[in-house]
Amino acid sequence: MTVSSEQELMLTQRANHLVRQARLAAAVFTQYSQEKVDKIVRAMTAAAIENAGKLALMAHQETRMGVTEDKILKNLVASEFLYHQIKDKRSVGVTREFPDLNMVEVAEPMGVIFALAPVTNPTSTVIFKSICCAKTRNTVIFSAHLMAAESSNYAAKIMYEAALAAGAPKGFITWVDKSSRLRRTSELLMSHPEVDLIFATGGTQMVKAAYSSGKPALGVGPGNTPVYVHKSANVLSAAMDIIISKTFDNGTECPSEQTLVIDREVSEQLLNEFKRLGCHLCTQEEVEKVSDLIIDSRSGGINYKLVGQPANLIADQAGLNITQPIKMLLCPLNGELRHHKLAIEKLMPVLGYVIVDSVNEGINKALDINYAGGTGHTAGIFCEDDDVIERFSDAINAGRIIVNSPASIGGLGGVYNHLNTTLSFGCGTGGGNITTDNVGIKNLINFKRVPRRRNYVISFQTTKNIYINPGSIDHLKSLKCQSAFIITSRSASRRGHLAQVTERLPQDCHVDVFSDMGPEPDFAMIQRVVAAMRHSQPDTVIALGGGSVLDAAKIVRLFYDYPELKISEIAVNFLDFHHRMIEFPKDMKTQLVAIPTTSGTGSEVTPFAVLKDGHRKISLIDECLLPDVAIIDAHLTRSLPPDITGDTAFDALTHALEALVSTFSSDYTDGLALEALRLIFESLPETLKNPNNVLYRHKLHNAATLAGMAIGNASVGVNHALAHALGARFDIPHGRANGAFLLSTIEYNAQIPSKFVSIPCYPLWVADRKYARAAQFIGLTVEPIEGETEEAKGLRLVHKLRQAVYDLAKLAKQPLSIAELGIPLETYMAAIPELTEIAFSDMSIRTNPRYTLAPEVAQLFANAYAPRERP
Amino acid sequence: MAEPTKETRKLEKIRILGELERGLDDVDKVLATGKTDIELDFSACTFISVDGLEWLEEFLLRADSLKSSVKFVNVQSPVYKVFKVAHIDSLMRACGSPTQDAQGLVC
Repeated sequence: MTVSSEQELMLTQRANHLVRQARLAAAVFTQYSQEKVDKIVRAMTAAAIENAGKLALMAHQETRMGVTEDKILKNLVASEFLYHQIKDKRSVGVTREFPDLNMVEVAEPMGVIFALAPVTNPTSTVIFKSICCAKTRNTVIFSAHLMAAESSNYAAKIMYEAALAAGAPKGFITWVDKSSRLRRTSELLMSHPEVDLIFATGGTQMVKAAYSSGKPALGVGPGNTPVYVHKSANVLSAAMDIIISKTFDNGTECPSEQTLVIDREVSEQLLNEFKRLGCHLCTQEEVEKVSDLIIDSRSGGINYKLVGQPANLIADQAGLNITQPIKMLLCPLNGELRHHKLAIEKLMPVLGYVIVDSVNEGINKALDINYAGGTGHTAGIFCEDDDVIERFSDAINAGRIIVNSPASIGGLGGVYNHLNTTLSFGCGTGGGNITTDNVGIKNLINFKRVPRRRNYVISFQTTKNIYINPGSIDHLKSLKCQSAFIITSRSASRRGHLAQVTERLPQDCHVDVFSDMGPEPDFAMIQRVVAAMRHSQPDTVIALGGGSVLDAAKIVRLFYDYPELKISEIAVNFLDFHHRMIEFPKDMKTQLVAIPTTSGTGSEVTPFAVLKDGHRKISLIDECLLPDVAIIDAHLTRSLPPDITGDTAFDALTHALEALVSTFSSDYTDGLALEALRLIFESLPETLKNPNNVLYRHKLHNAATLAGMAIGNASVGVNHALAHALGARFDIPHGRANGAFLLSTIEYNAQIPSKFVSIPCYPLWVADRKYARAAQFIGLTVEPIEGETEEAKGLRLVHKLRQAVYDLAKLAKQPLSIAELGIPLETYMAAIPELTEIAFSDMSIRTNPRYTLAPEVAQLFANAYAPRERP
Repeated sequence: MAEPTKETRKLEKIRILGELERGLDDVDKVLATGKTDIELDFSACTFISVDGLEWLEEFLLRADSLKSSVKFVNVQSPVYKVFKVAHIDSLMRACGSPTQDAQGLVC
């Protein structure tokens, strides 16, 4: 074995040993309570405060950088200020609760953290990271900078001993001993499989290495802080703050000012104040000398020997003839700022400045500095104008933009502002980092989100004023309206309904009529009616007719009240009503009175309106489409021919059955759906026997409205999706199209789904039981079978229900298959792919109790063709 | 001395009570007889320290060399999580769990 391989083996063993200690401690730490953790944090903080001076002195002596007094302050910020911020924060168990979201966050430690400590802050960084790790139940292995390893490791030792005495797990803090192989050991640790996170604060190379390790890393990038002094600033205060900041620890803090951008109006006053307070303003010749000294001519980077050195030492070495003590050197950066040698990070009391003539120029110059090696880190502004601060903040890419305070101490957080206290400044993607945070305890916790199931709120809405019973059309006599616009169909006019309406309207009410509304109107028709209404200027729209007329009137009113709406924008499909992207108007201006003359759609009480669009039907759904008044007068249905009576009754029957099993069904809609079913099975046969019997017409009319209320809130299902597609493609009346699929879809929905619907308001698939309940509600029974399960009995009831639907359809001469609709087999089969696509994208399918897959839709279409036998 | 056959070995059931802060001499003595398989019952173990973990690992090593079988039973979730996070294969085997080999992370 060669010497180098022996050394490598030894280093690997050392790294393994450190990681094993940390790993076991991390495992044990998972058991600690918040109280136990807080006790450890408190003990560590006390030890850090007690040793702040000693550690600062040691760091200064070892590194020869910075100012001992300032290092004491850093140690105190890293302990006392940090403690103040985190002492009451929860870091174990539930850390945050979100009652409105029904969710909590639970803390999970990250595990073994490998942490780097920089030469510029060798003890404060160790104090800070140790306390953060204790608070978050992580274990930490420190690797110090070789030039500061003794002081860094001593700080780690103090922290560890205090923690151990307070009950921390053995091996919770470890460190790499100072040696000539320190860097190699660090490399081994960085790529060690048992290290969970690298927490890198240090030179660019180290941070880069951390991010290149392939492990999760919290690294902080380099800074180059521009500070804009706007003309509105308190100039004298700004001068003092900047001196405090730039001379803090002789400029070793990376958030500290690097280049000032000064408005010309205040430049003389500011520079004079700097001079008065003991700063040296360099001449152009002196700037050259300083540049030559502090910039490495080969790399263009900083001369690291001068990091954290006092201003007088730099001036002496640069050959400046300065005899009196000075605080810092101010260098005008003349010429093209973007190419100026000093427009970089200078971790020493050397500060560049430029003078500008406008806010725009000021922000642009600040951006030049910001993007010259300091993107994402820190910027500052002295300004009393909030608009300027906002413009500056919007433009500059910095994780912290310090306002009217020293940038360096301000960046540390907790002293001049309420930023999180940190010694690690996240720079975001601009600096190649994952965060712009002042990195702290929240970055060292894996937050586990525990969302409880949403409380899904279902509302119930319907038309506010509903007038029922035969003769209720008389309500029109007391209708508050001065100008009415009646939308109706030719047949309603022919059947005398229009006259019944106009006769009852108040005498002083101006009336206009559009009586040319055909079945299944398109948007061109809607626009025609809206145009007619513009001439009439009505305050009330009266919709008199079947479902098509009522639906059209809802859309007409919407576009009459809100002409700026676009049909393409409001007819957007949605998955969940609560989250849909479109917004309808909240208030309608024109009153809508709906008077159905058929007993089917229930449109008078639904927020739906269906419109034909070529071979498709588009659905508009919103509360604003609900009519204000519905008049349910069965007299208006007495003259309905038997075929239309049957068609529309089967529409209502489908509504009741689909609303009952819908994923949005509720106790409210179930009651309506069941009663609608009962009324239809009772009254349709009687009505067909005696069409003039107003009692049964009335029951049928009520059934349609009740079923309308049910679908208005629970919506429909796959049957409607199929019927919409079929109806639009082959011009089949809606009720007939519904009936053709009804036996298939009951059977389909009553089977255990191949895929369940994922929606929080439908926690249990109950479609089979609901159909069984419907069967019982309409009086169907099955003979008990000994030992039969409830499920099997339920399926027999569903079978009975299908038989009852079949019998009713036969009685009403309703087709129960596509073949009976007169569509040729070949034409129909050729259309199935298109029908499937249309049905699959139909909104109705979303509330079906069985998640309907596209092949299943195609199968339902195919199965519906052949004439049916009684189930 | 001949090794005890499977038939002659007896199973010793031992409960770990409270906090497992360090090695347990009594348990070590049982193992030292070399004639028993051991079942450590963790149902009453409320905490395990780093020393406790190290002792368990070493105990399993010794048991292995004595060809004694050691099983951990009734391990409560907080302690089981410690075993999981510790990434020590022998502890997981004693619990009857898969080891961490699939991840390739073993201390």
